[in-house]
Amino acid sequence: MKPKNILILSVILLLIVVGFMAGDFFFSKGPNQENPYEYDLTKQKEIDSSLICYQEISSIKPETDYLYGIATDENDNLYVAAIEKLFIYNSTGHLINTIQLKDNAYCLTVAPSGNIYLGMADHVEVWNKEGNQLQSWPGISDSSIITSIAVNETSVFVADAGNKVVFHFNLNGELQNKIGEKDTENGKLGFILPSAYFDLLIGRDNELWAVNPGIHQLESYRSNGEMITSWQRTSMQLDGFSGCCNPSHIAMLSDGSFVTSEKGIERVKIHLPTGDFKCVVASPDQFIAGTTDLDLAVDTKDRIYVSDPKKGLVRIFEKMNK
Amino acid sequence: MTKEKSNKKIDRREFLNNTFRFSLVVGIGGLGAVLAKNTLGTEMVWQLDAAKCVQCGRCATDCVLTPSAVKLIHVYDMCGYCDLCGGYFRPEAKDRSTAAENQLCPTSAIERKFIEEPFFEYHINADLCIGCAKCMKGCGSFGNGSMQIQVNHDLCVNCNECSIARVCPSDAYTRVPANDPYLFKGTSGQSMKI
Repeated sequence: MKPKNILILSVILLLIVVGFMAGDFFFSKGPNQENPYEYDLTKQKEIDSSLICYQEISSIKPETDYLYGIATDENDNLYVAAIEKLFIYNSTGHLINTIQLKDNAYCLTVAPSGNIYLGMADHVEVWNKEGNQLQSWPGISDSSIITSIAVNETSVFVADAGNKVVFHFNLNGELQNKIGEKDTENGKLGFILPSAYFDLLIGRDNELWAVNPGIHQLESYRSNGEMITSWQRTSMQLDGFSGCCNPSHIAMLSDGSFVTSEKGIERVKIHLPTGDFKCVVASPDQFIAGTTDLDLAVDTKDRIYVSDPKKGLVRIFEKMNK
Repeated sequence: MTKEKSNKKIDRREFLNNTFRFSLVVGIGGLGAVLAKNTLGTEMVWQLDAAKCVQCGRCATDCVLTPSAVKLIHVYDMCGYCDLCGGYFRPEAKDRSTAAENQLCPTSAIERKFIEEPFFEYHINADLCIGCAKCMKGCGSFGNGSMQIQVNHDLCVNCNECSIARVCPSDAYTRVPANDPYLFKGTSGQSMKI
């Protein structure tokens, strides 16, 4: 073979080798390589369509970057706590007032009197619908993290995830007693709160319902702190709750059933008053993966309002006619 | 004129001497600079930012070491000591026992220990951990995110170009000072912050 041909052949071989090396360097094991250790929740997020009993009918998009909480009143007005603002919408979804706050309200509720109770980081503020501040209670403690407020005719219950207890105040903000304190001598676990998810509601008989999310339990109490009843559903399946902090939020329908939302698997469900699973309001495929803080509210027509902070929407669901 | 020009010419011996002297000065100067840098400067090491991690599995498969120098570190301050731990149990686990078929970790590197009702402690056996971050994803999804993978600097050989960093899809790898080599997501009490 002529030296010239040997040279050409060598150059071609060299180019082939360089090509393989470049291919190996730039293209093999690319970022889209299949993950042999994938954490797969596909099965858990699949919902049988026959189990879905509500449908989304509309949504409201408040002018804010984050939604902290929602509540409804007896006239079906919707209250939305957002970044340093409180938006009030009427029952047809029209904005009727925007109240500027000095700080963020992380939770809220509307009393039977129509006053709005806002849970700031460590204290409670009371406002009226017109935007006047009526009361600002002193901070509970340095470690307080107020996550939920429930109000009936005589009492204000404040869930404090930092102190792992529910504080019972009268309407003037005077502390009456604490509810759900840990008492190991008497076998009371107290509230197990690994993170700041600790929701409350007032039941149909004016009783207090509190979530004990660490053990996936809903507990009802009299205002003196005496426990009435409880139900617990720990399960990785649809019939219960899993993880550290579920259900993250609750609301109650007119028949006493519970509406629940979760973190981890983004879904909204209905559980019967006994705690048994009934049906699904919103399935995981209706949310962006990783959505949390799905606060809930129910109006007088049993429509369910779900705050969806990732989409920046308050989504409204209505019972399907099956 | 011609004589002056020839006088300016450097002969071979002088050229070699100059070159040797110059090399000596540069060498000693360079060595001094390197020593000064090593003594006075901060050594940098690779670390992954747990907040950016997307649990792609590449930390387990692409490290030059086998098993990987990336290991799970449990931030106990953040842990909820959950019974039904998303980082310990597979999503389809039938019960809350320590049976292998219920465990999420492919190498059973997480040990579950009962503390008191209803709390369980989760201890990481670093020798078994391969850095796949499966538990990190489970814990982050359902819990507080206390399980976090990090480069273990007792094992890492600190390659010039980290082979995991090269393929990390979220650019989570960065150089950090060796005297502060961890990039945990959250700090003490973070889980309770709103």
